[in-house]
Amino acid sequence: MNPVEQLVRAPVAAVEFANLLLTRDDAKIGVSPKDVVWTHRKATLYRYRSTRRTHALPVLLVFALINRPEIFDLRPGNSFVEFLLEEGYDVFLLDWGEPGDEDADMGIDNYVCDELPWAMRETLRASGQDELSLLGWCIGGTLVAMHAALNPGGPARNLVLLTTPVDTSGSLYANWVGRDSFDPEFVAEVLPSVPGAGVDWANKMMKPVTNFWTTYRTLWQNVLKGEAKREAYQSMARWVADNPPFPGRAFSQWITWMYKENRFVRNGVRLRGRRVDLGKIDQNMLVVTAGADHIAPRPGTLPLLDLVSSEDVTHLDRPGGHIGLMAGSRAREDIWPDIAEWLEERSAR
Amino acid sequence: MSERPDPTEDVRRLYEDAEKRTADAMEELVKRDAFGELLARATENILALTRMGNDVADLVVRNLRLAGRRDVTSLGRQLARTEDKLEQVLQEVERLQEQIADAERSSASNGTTRRRSTKSSASK
Repeated sequence: MNPVEQLVRAPVAAVEFANLLLTRDDAKIGVSPKDVVWTHRKATLYRYRSTRRTHALPVLLVFALINRPEIFDLRPGNSFVEFLLEEGYDVFLLDWGEPGDEDADMGIDNYVCDELPWAMRETLRASGQDELSLLGWCIGGTLVAMHAALNPGGPARNLVLLTTPVDTSGSLYANWVGRDSFDPEFVAEVLPSVPGAGVDWANKMMKPVTNFWTTYRTLWQNVLKGEAKREAYQSMARWVADNPPFPGRAFSQWITWMYKENRFVRNGVRLRGRRVDLGKIDQNMLVVTAGADHIAPRPGTLPLLDLVSSEDVTHLDRPGGHIGLMAGSRAREDIWPDIAEWLEERSAR
Repeated sequence: MSERPDPTEDVRRLYEDAEKRTADAMEELVKRDAFGELLARATENILALTRMGNDVADLVVRNLRLAGRRDVTSLGRQLARTEDKLEQVLQEVERLQEQIADAERSSASNGTTRRRSTKSSASK
């Protein structure tokens, strides 16, 4: 497109660009039909409707505390949930909900020792099975690993951990919040529910130019060329901008245990008096890392492979970022089939 | 004859190169200790100001005899605790139901065995 053509098209492109940004929140995400199975406080367990369940073991999806779990079911045609349903899995989703100030007392122990096992119990009741597969992503993976370490021989037969932070030493987060001058308890005291927008801002500051400028500049160029993918952009942008608050106590524990003291990888986390010993994880385990992940960098996940006592451990490493790996346009070809295949071999009754 | 380079393309390439360099430089900048320290201190200052603002707002609202954020939170917390207890009671009920079902199943199977044994003894 020559400069004159660009100039002629610019006003139309400007209107379209503005429209893309302004109507972002109208994008439909997480639309696969599902039913509520169980609720407790803000947590909700969903079961996705399906008429083609062929694998015995249900799959329970667990996402992080700082973003919404709709990323598992981003939009029709680009939904991991949809893919799993097509592959014949009975899919459940644990949604942590939107904690408010009244949930400031929710800590990591509540999530690992109450909400997760209760959701697992309800998953088993609803599916009529006595075992399941747990799939955790980001912090959700860490919570799943903590639960598995506390409950060896429990109902979780398979663990799938996607871009999961384990060892945070040397990470950029550790540099920011691990220092003495950053006091997470003061944060939790002032903000009983730490605003998700603050956490999101910090995440974006890791790559400031890319996140605050290049994204929009690229979008503008695509609009100008008439190549902007409205649904793809808006669904992802809406998901990125939707950040639930982090309950104060859980925030303080997460920062202290993971970034200040790096306890998890050293088996130093104690939940309700019980030590979270990664060596006690004995389930079949699939660990997925992303080569360009700057939020949970690959070197921070790999120690897990040596620490667990599982006999069946698989590691998949793929190019991509923390979220793009599983929700990007290439995920359907690059990673979802591998996960489904791994699960299939381990999901018979 | 070689093609003349497109000046628009040159400008675009130069711009993208500059943007890439700026992005790399900024990523290096945020990795520095000084940036981390600045971020920590700035966060502390913002939080301290937020706390002062919250305290003043809460004082005003409470003196107007209106429910403030703390009151609403306190109410929400009571509800959450009630829900915790309800969940525990539900789990206990479910556990008891399962126990009763197990007991009924085992007594039913014992009854069947007894009836069979009675029958066999009668036929003798």
